[in-house]
Amino acid sequence: MVALLTKINPQLLRILALLLVFLTVLLFFSLVVPNYLNGRLFNRISSSVAIMALIATGQTLVIITRNIDLSIGSIVGFVAFATGSIVTNNPDLGPVALVTYAMLLGAGFGAINGVIVAYLKVPSIIVTLATMALFRSVLVEYSNAKSITTSNLPDWLISFPNTVLWHFGNMQFRAAFVVAIVIVIVVHICLSRLRVARKLYVVGSNPEAAEMVGINSKLVVFVAFILAGSLAGLAGFLFLARFGTITVVAGLGLELKSVAASVVGGVNIFGGSGTVIGALIGAMLVDLIDMSLVRWQFVSEFWREAVLGILILLSVTADAVLMRKLTAIRQKKKGVSE
Amino acid sequence: MQKPILELIKITKIFGQTKALSNMSLALYPGEVHAIVGENGAGKSTMIKIMTGIYQPTEGQIRVDGNVRTISNSQIAREAGVAAIYQEPMVFPDLNVAENIFISATNDGAWLNPKRQRQKANALIEHIGMALDVDQIASGLTLAEQQAVEIARALSQDVRVLIMDEPTASLSEHEATQLRQIAINLAKEGVAVVYISHRLEEIFEIADRVTVIRDGEHISTKLIKDVTSNSMISEMVGREVDNFFAKAPTTKTDEILLKVSNLSLDGVFEDINFDLHKGEILCFSGLIGARRTDVALSLFGVASHSSGSVIYNGQEVKFGSPREAMDAKIAYVSEDRRKFGLAMPMSIQSNMSLATLKNFLNRFGLLKVDEERKMATNFKQKLNIKTENVELEVGMLSGGNQQKVMLAKWLNMKPNLLIFDEPTRGVDVGAKVEVHNLIREFAAAGGAVLVISSDLPEVLSLGDRILVMREGKQMGILSNEDSNQEKIMALATGQNIQKEAS
Repeated sequence: MVALLTKINPQLLRILALLLVFLTVLLFFSLVVPNYLNGRLFNRISSSVAIMALIATGQTLVIITRNIDLSIGSIVGFVAFATGSIVTNNPDLGPVALVTYAMLLGAGFGAINGVIVAYLKVPSIIVTLATMALFRSVLVEYSNAKSITTSNLPDWLISFPNTVLWHFGNMQFRAAFVVAIVIVIVVHICLSRLRVARKLYVVGSNPEAAEMVGINSKLVVFVAFILAGSLAGLAGFLFLARFGTITVVAGLGLELKSVAASVVGGVNIFGGSGTVIGALIGAMLVDLIDMSLVRWQFVSEFWREAVLGILILLSVTADAVLMRKLTAIRQKKKGVSE
Repeated sequence: MQKPILELIKITKIFGQTKALSNMSLALYPGEVHAIVGENGAGKSTMIKIMTGIYQPTEGQIRVDGNVRTISNSQIAREAGVAAIYQEPMVFPDLNVAENIFISATNDGAWLNPKRQRQKANALIEHIGMALDVDQIASGLTLAEQQAVEIARALSQDVRVLIMDEPTASLSEHEATQLRQIAINLAKEGVAVVYISHRLEEIFEIADRVTVIRDGEHISTKLIKDVTSNSMISEMVGREVDNFFAKAPTTKTDEILLKVSNLSLDGVFEDINFDLHKGEILCFSGLIGARRTDVALSLFGVASHSSGSVIYNGQEVKFGSPREAMDAKIAYVSEDRRKFGLAMPMSIQSNMSLATLKNFLNRFGLLKVDEERKMATNFKQKLNIKTENVELEVGMLSGGNQQKVMLAKWLNMKPNLLIFDEPTRGVDVGAKVEVHNLIREFAAAGGAVLVISSDLPEVLSLGDRILVMREGKQMGILSNEDSNQEKIMALATGQNIQKEAS
């Protein structure tokens, strides 16, 4: 067992452990909540996770480079509003144009963060804390405190996220969810196999050494923020399609949830390691618990946040302890063989 | 002789007010091992950084194969075939060995092929004669292994000039020999190897030519057969260093401060026995992996012994934490300045007061800054720390001066027992002599010193007695009079086991 644990890739181990936790949580709630495991649970979680998965993916890209993007929720909100407003005024715009618009807008916001963090060398936590408020204020100004309403949006947009592509029994695979999963998988493959993607990890793992081996770490960080911004833009598009009604508070709080999803998913907050699949499972886990607690009478609404907090603490602590143990075992093994 | 691969022509580099390099010229030929020596702060690092594109020269030009080139970043330097490995290896702790090696590979397609990467990594590791699991995550590697990864990384691309910046400073004798062999082999393959080292004996072993630099200026470039270690040293420091390797007379007294009997820590070391007198300097010698530091850490309370006894100041003790050991006036100066020694972004004075902070607090618990500064200024003079101001960041100092700050931190405590782990690693000759003298002064004032060192000349010039360890076992204690490098190495490599057993 120990031998196997040291052989296996730590990232894979993290994902397996997460899946185990996920199944345990599922099992637990199915025991305490009557009529829990059914298609509706899947449909609910898959709908809400679609948006979160994209944001957490973007957040993960940034965290891997040893940064953080707290403005991501504001970007989602702004893009959702702006996209809604443009399609309200130009109902003929097609999906491709609209998605492109949303992603470019998001990328633009990401570029602002990226320039300040990478080239002006201001810590990302401060930059994005400021832009979080700033982007939100721009939204209030831009929107004139009005809202986008479902009635003004084209039908294809409203019906898109809930279009059932295929289903197993009551479990429906809806378009938004499938799109999000496909994107996560594509990003995952790129991140683990694409040569240039390795630079994200390199910069997060040891920024000084990255410069020494000829990696332009500024550019890498800049690009990470742009990618995160464009993923947030896409999430904003899905947000608009799913909710239809967009107010100035759209996407509020998503920044912290995305950090939570990434961290629960095993992404190292100090950069250098983590996977977007992990972040996806983290997002699902957070959502699953959030939703299940609503149905569990035993826990009052007040305690729901606390349970979530405990979960985050537990998973991160367990991860740290586990990884340290593994390193120790590895080193011991090496000591014996020498 | 062939044409030079890389030439620096009248390079000058100015940072703000300071001239780090002035009119520096250097030519590197294929197939040579070119040693560069100079004290810390002489400009060696600046010169390397100019060759690797990290700094741009203020004046002068760089020629590659006779053509003027601007090396504006390290990527361009790599394309020109210039690679560097450093004393403190640059690995990525979250990536595995193979990924670390091929980190800057760009000529192998957009997609990674882990299987082929692993094979190629194995081949490279084998080529340099190391044994390493290439799937291992780099955070668990020893310094020597990290160095190997760096060399493999340099070799993974076409390398024509390989700069090795004190590669052996942190290695054991055995590992250092291995590394020098790698350097020699690379030169045979036509690479120009630039070799920077403070270990002069190693330069005589491998270098073809030696360049001495001092205060940013080129002093001389000579064939190795035309220099002696004394001529080199006097050129480096600009004055004669007297008694460089000479052993000072012992100041050992009859009073025993520390008596260690059958000290063991399960699975780490066993049966360590020695006495340490007041005024005595005892050196721990051995190869890396000999567990010398573990014995010291055990005495210092980091990992208490599992059996045996320690009698300190006439009382049996077993320290459960460094705090307890410090309260008993034992100081441990770590070999790893960065990790366990200094808070690099903090000022020199706050680093010096760190271990004895409560002596600098007034009755409201506030720091007496003036007193702290006075103490620090005092040490700056006493230890000859080269800095304008003790309020500067300690990270800005050269290695030797950082070492002195670390020593000051512990001397502040007025310890009875000073454990000094690798006191002069990465420290230039001039500062080395100074650190040695400080250790001797401490002993002469009645302190007991335990020095752990992988540097044999240092062990011989410092130690009144030398305890040699190998793989957690004590191989013997030699008195200074009847020890020499050969005897120590014989014990450290275990060649005397039979003799002892019979």
